[in-house]
Amino acid sequence: MLFRRKKKPPFEGGGLLLFEKVEEAIKAEKVLKGADYVVKLVAPPPSLRKGCDLAVEINLVEQMGIERLFRQKDVAYLEVVPLKGGGELLEMVKITNFNNATMVKAGNMKVTFDRNTGIILNASGGGCPDIPYLHTQLIDKKLTEAPRPKEIGFTLCALMMDRAFEECLELWRKGGN
Amino acid sequence: MAMLISGTVPIKDLPLTLGEARFEGESLSLNDFKIPCTQGTAALISAALATTDYLKIDPPQVLLVGDNGEGRGSRLLYEYIIKNIPDLLPDVLVLHYCLPDMALMRRLCESVERCSKRPIMIADASSMYAAKAAGLATKFDIFTPDATEIAFLADPDATHPAYISRHLFDTDVTRTPELVDVAYKLKSAAKLLLVKGEIDYVVKDGKIIDTITEPNIPALEAIGGTGDTITGLVAAFAYAELELHEAAIIAARANRMAGKFALATPGTKVWQIISQFPAVFKEYLCEWSGVCYVAAQS
Repeated sequence: MLFRRKKKPPFEGGGLLLFEKVEEAIKAEKVLKGADYVVKLVAPPPSLRKGCDLAVEINLVEQMGIERLFRQKDVAYLEVVPLKGGGELLEMVKITNFNNATMVKAGNMKVTFDRNTGIILNASGGGCPDIPYLHTQLIDKKLTEAPRPKEIGFTLCALMMDRAFEECLELWRKGGN
Repeated sequence: MAMLISGTVPIKDLPLTLGEARFEGESLSLNDFKIPCTQGTAALISAALATTDYLKIDPPQVLLVGDNGEGRGSRLLYEYIIKNIPDLLPDVLVLHYCLPDMALMRRLCESVERCSKRPIMIADASSMYAAKAAGLATKFDIFTPDATEIAFLADPDATHPAYISRHLFDTDVTRTPELVDVAYKLKSAAKLLLVKGEIDYVVKDGKIIDTITEPNIPALEAIGGTGDTITGLVAAFAYAELELHEAAIIAARANRMAGKFALATPGTKVWQIISQFPAVFKEYLCEWSGVCYVAAQS
């Protein structure tokens, strides 16, 4: 063959953005590409279809940053769903008490605070690139003064960290335990 | 090339850099950049450096890039490895923090197949997530999951631990062997697993060959980076040509003992744990490994 079209690398995002209307999906794709996200317009499989028959495939890990961008750019969407599995984010948390500290675990993330001062002592778990950054931003700050991971993070790890943070904040406001 | 450790660090303006890093206590230095020695790839590299320094073997080459979660640095990292790994030809390749990307991980594994000598492949953190999600786990020699991450490996559908089934998250450490079994049946595990937790499990080809429980330092779970240090230790011991399961067992023991030496509390920082490794090795490495003489490198 003389002419061979160069194949674009395949995209395997693992997550879908669903929309009520086709024009919303097209706007979303434009906004996302403008912000350097790698995404793809696709037809949602029948089992996941809600609203219109156009969806945007995303890297599911980037869900939190994408949803924040949509709030900032006023992009309407129905929901984010994983392409495989039950589709529900983990909501439950586990709590471990040490001498003067409490550790809250949400998914793969853990946040630990001092029960006497409300200062964040440590954060552990996870593996996405925003987690070391969040670590440097949160540690040694008071829970009531630290930035929320969901405001400055981008990934599902950061979303789980925020869930743990939120629970720490609630425990601290109730008296530290 | 000796051992190559790749990952992202929270210095947004750090360009993609290949070189040698130096552990300086609270930070890791690479060229003119000071990288905080906190949770993440900096902790992994620091632990590996402590080990290679002690054993008097070549330090790791590190391939680092700044990325605060937006993914641009991560994509540069993947593309560099995809393009250059057959020429870099490391003996040990460690893939660590980065934005997990299934398609790029697939291309990376294809590129590794083109190496004239296949490196020992180790993945932790989101590189492990990407490998599992893309169905590439069996291409790896070592994964180092924690308790939630072994549940993720045992979930047939999840592409990230945030989406694992509730019944898998809601398990205690006694169910780890069951989850290990499922992960191997799903082909979602590397050849060797070191499952980090209250009990550390060393698993080879689906069979639990050892558990490590002492010393028991519960505070280690709260300290960000103590999982990363285990991976750095395993990588360095593997590079030092220990059998992979021996490397995993000694890494788990050394990490716990460093926590004991540091009198770890939930507020301890990971660099304080790393600083204890030389003392731990001096006291225990001979007993644990049977190798009691460290030769100077010729």
